[in-house]
Amino acid sequence: MLKYAFRRILGMIPMLFLISIVVFTLAKLMPGDSLSGEIDPRNTNPQYIAEMREKLGYNDPLPQQYFRWIGNFVEGEFGKSARYKIKVSDVIGERVPNTLLLGFTSILITYILAFFMGLYSGRKPYTLGDNLIGGLNYLGLSIPSFIAGVFAIFFFSFTLGWFPSNGSIDIGVTEGTAEYWLSRFHHVFLPAVVLGLLSTASYTQFLRNDIIENSRKDFVRTARAKGTPEKKIYNVHILRNSIIPLITFLGFDLVAIISGAIITETIFTYPGLGQLFLQSVGTRDYPVLMTLTMLFSFLTLIGNLVADVLYGVVDPRIRLD
Amino acid sequence: MKKKSILMLAALMLVLSAFLAACSSNKTGTKKEENNGKSGEATDKPQDGGTLVYALDSSFKGILNWSFYGDAVDDEILQLFDENLIRYDEKLQPQPNIASWKTTDNKVYDFEFKKGVKWHNGDELSVKDWEFALKVVADKDYEASRFENVRNIVGAQDYHDGKATEISGIKVIDDYHIQITFDKARVNNLENLWTYPMNRTEFKGIAVKDMEASEQVRTKPVGLGPYKVTKVVPGESIEMSRFDDYFNGKPHLDKIVVKVIDPSLSVGELKNGTLDMTKFHPSIIEEVKKLDNVNAITYPGLSYYYVGFRLGTWDGNQNVMNEKKYQNVKLREAMYYAINREEWVKAFFFGVGKPVNRPVPTNHWIAADNKDLEQFKYDPEKAKKLLDEAGYKDVDGDSFREDPQGKKFVVNFSHYATQNPTFESRAKALTQYWEEVGLKTKLTMTDANLYYDMLDKADKSMEVFFGGWSTGTDPDPTALWSSKAMWNYPRWVNAESDKLLDQALDMSVVGTEANKRKDIYGQWQKLFMKELPVLPIAEIEETMAVSKRVHGVTFDVSGYNRPNEWWIKQ
Repeated sequence: MLKYAFRRILGMIPMLFLISIVVFTLAKLMPGDSLSGEIDPRNTNPQYIAEMREKLGYNDPLPQQYFRWIGNFVEGEFGKSARYKIKVSDVIGERVPNTLLLGFTSILITYILAFFMGLYSGRKPYTLGDNLIGGLNYLGLSIPSFIAGVFAIFFFSFTLGWFPSNGSIDIGVTEGTAEYWLSRFHHVFLPAVVLGLLSTASYTQFLRNDIIENSRKDFVRTARAKGTPEKKIYNVHILRNSIIPLITFLGFDLVAIISGAIITETIFTYPGLGQLFLQSVGTRDYPVLMTLTMLFSFLTLIGNLVADVLYGVVDPRIRLD
Repeated sequence: MKKKSILMLAALMLVLSAFLAACSSNKTGTKKEENNGKSGEATDKPQDGGTLVYALDSSFKGILNWSFYGDAVDDEILQLFDENLIRYDEKLQPQPNIASWKTTDNKVYDFEFKKGVKWHNGDELSVKDWEFALKVVADKDYEASRFENVRNIVGAQDYHDGKATEISGIKVIDDYHIQITFDKARVNNLENLWTYPMNRTEFKGIAVKDMEASEQVRTKPVGLGPYKVTKVVPGESIEMSRFDDYFNGKPHLDKIVVKVIDPSLSVGELKNGTLDMTKFHPSIIEEVKKLDNVNAITYPGLSYYYVGFRLGTWDGNQNVMNEKKYQNVKLREAMYYAINREEWVKAFFFGVGKPVNRPVPTNHWIAADNKDLEQFKYDPEKAKKLLDEAGYKDVDGDSFREDPQGKKFVVNFSHYATQNPTFESRAKALTQYWEEVGLKTKLTMTDANLYYDMLDKADKSMEVFFGGWSTGTDPDPTALWSSKAMWNYPRWVNAESDKLLDQALDMSVVGTEANKRKDIYGQWQKLFMKELPVLPIAEIEETMAVSKRVHGVTFDVSGYNRPNEWWIKQ
C-alpha cells in the first residue's frame, strides 16, 4: 500500500509539470493583462503602463516568463498579486479558513442528511416516504446551484429573515467568543446547504440502493432466520456493509472542500477561494490565478489517490500493488 | 464572471472614473435635501447614534490609503474615513478644506493648514505629513500610479531618479505653512497636485516598497475623516466608528459598516432594511424606486458616451490621421442625423440618461450652452441627403449605399460586451438607424476585457466604435482629445483644436480667470462638433439608494456631502 502510494505520488510530478504548462499557456492566452483594466485618467502618461509591463516582465518571451514563474513556484515563491498588491500566499491565506469552514459544514450537512434519508429510504423502499425523499433528491440533482442559491436567499434571507444573505461574519462581534462562532455558522449555513444539495441527493440514493441490495443478500436472510430483530439487522448488518462504498467518496470530497464553490460563494458574496478564483480571472491577476489552479490540480490528484487507496482499504478484493 | 458584471461594466465603460472619484473626495452638498418635499423632516434636528450599513458591489482590494489605492471600490471606503486637503464645490472649483492657499503667479503656492486637525491616532496634522506623502509618491520604489500628480513640482523628478535627497520645490515653513513651487505656471497646477497627506509617525521605519502591503495601509489605516476604521475583514467588510475629534464637526452616527454585497442581492437587502446606502446600476432603478423605505437618488454625473470613428493610428508618440474611410465629414454628420438619440436613450438608459451634444458632460462648468452648438436632431431625410451629396449612393440596387467609388460600403461597428444584456440590443439599435438610411452595418460585440486593448491596436472590426469617458474635476480635455493624447481613440488630429486646448491652459492667455477659460473651451466644443471625430450620444446620471431612515445626505455633481452630517432617525 505504501509502495503504491509512493509510486503514485512520484507519478504526480510529471503530471503537475504538464498541468503547469497548460495553466500558464491558458492564462497568457486570455486577452488583455492585469494592467489593461488600470487605465487611469490623469495618468495619461503611457510610459507608466509601459514601465509597469516591463517591470512585471509581460514583455519577455513566453518561455522565459514560464520558467521564471515555475522556478519561483517550486521554491514556494508564488509572487505578488497584481490586484491586491500583496503576496499571493497572503491573499490565499486570508480566504482559506472561510473556504474550509464552508466545505466542512457542507460535507457535514450532506453526510447527516444523506445518512438519515438514505437509511429511511433503504429500509422502507417504495413507500410514500421513500418516494418523497426520492422526489426531493431528483429535484436537488436537477436544480443548478445558482438557481438554488438565489431561491434560498429569497426565501430564507429576504422572506423569512432566518439567515443573512451575504458575508461570512457580522463585523460587530469579537473574535474568539462564542458569539463569533455562532455568527460564522449562521452565515455559513445557507451556502453550505446549497452547496451540499447535489451531493446530498446522490449520497442518499447511493445509500438507499446499497441498503436495498444488501437486504436481499444471503447473510441478511440468515440473520432473519436466526430471529435477529429487524432493527439490528438494518442498523448493524446492512448499514456497515452499505456505508463502505461511500467512504471512497471522501477523497473527492476533500478536493471539493478546498476548491470551494465558485458559484455558491459568488452568489452569497462569501469571501472564499472560489470567489477569489473568479475575480482573478476577471482581473487577469495571473499570480493568484495560476497558483490557485495549480493548488486545485494538485488537490484533485491527491483526492484521486486517497480515493484509490480507500478502495483498497475497504475492499480487500482490490489489490493496489 | 459573475458578480463582476456590474463592476466590469462600470470599470470599462467609464475607464476613467476611478480617479474622478478620488479627486472629488471632499464634497459639499448643494443642500438639496434627499427627502425633498416631505415637509417637516428637513427641519428635524439631527439625532446622534445608530449604525449605517453601506454596501459595495464588489470585493474591495483593501488598499486603504489614497497614495496607493487604485480602484473606485477602495475609494468608496476611503471617502468615509479619510480627507482631502482641498475640496471641490458644486462647480468643481477647488475650495479650502484643511488647507487654504495663496498664489500670485500659479507657480509658487503658499499653503496654510488649519490648526488642531487630528489624525485618528491622536497626532495633530502637520504640513510635514503632506511633505512625507509627496516624498513617498516621488520615491523610486513607489509603484502605484500617482507620480503624475507630483512630477510637476520642482525637483520631484530628480528625487524620483535618486539624484537628490529632498524635493527642492517643497519648503516647509512651520507645522502649518508650506510652500510648493512648480516647474512652470499652469492654470491647473493645483487641481493636478497630490493633496492627500500620510501620517508620518504611523509609517515611520517602513520602507516605501513595503508600505503597500503594510498593515497601516491594509487593516489599520489612520485617516483624518469623520469615521475611523476599527476593524477590517479582508474582502468582506469594514467597521468604522465615530471620530469625535473630526475637524469639521462631530459626526452623528455611532458606526458605519461597509459590506460587500453582490449587486443581485442589494434590492432584497434594501427592502429588508439591512442595508442603508449603496450605489446601484441604473438597470435596477425601477425595482429600487418601488421600495417604500428607500429613496432612489440620481445626481448629476460626469460621464458621457460616444460613437467614435477611427480616423488614424497611434504611432507611439502621437496620433496620425491616416485612415481614409471616414474622413468625409458629411458621412459622419449623416450618421449622426440618422440616430434617434431621444428614443435610444429612453429605451436603454432607464430614465437616467439624456442625449448630449458635446464631448463634455452638461454638468461640467466648461460645458458650452446647447444653443451655441449644432443640435443634430434626428432627421433621416437630411442624413440621406448628406449621403447623396457626399457620393454615397446605391449603385447596384441592393438598397444599401456604395462608397463614392462605387465599391461596397460596410460600417464595421463595435461595442463592448459584458453580462449586461442591454448592450447588444442598444448596439443593434444603432446599426438599425444606420441601415435605415442605407448604410450597411456589421456589428461586432467584443469582450469588455479585450475592448480597449483592441482599440489600442486598431483592430479591423473597430472602425466605428462605442466608447465612454468620465471626466474628473479638472475640466481640461487635453488628455482625451489632443493630437498627442493616447486616449484619443479616433486618432483625431486638428491643429486648431490643439491650439485652443493649449490656450485654455496658457497662463498668458487666460490668466486666472475661469470665464476666459470657459470661452476658449466653448470655442473648442464648437469646433469639435463641427469636425465630429466622434458622435456624442448620451450622458448618464449617477444612481444611489439611500434608506429613508438616513437623513442629512445631500448630493451634487461631486457626490455626497461629508458623512459627519448624516444621521439616522431613531
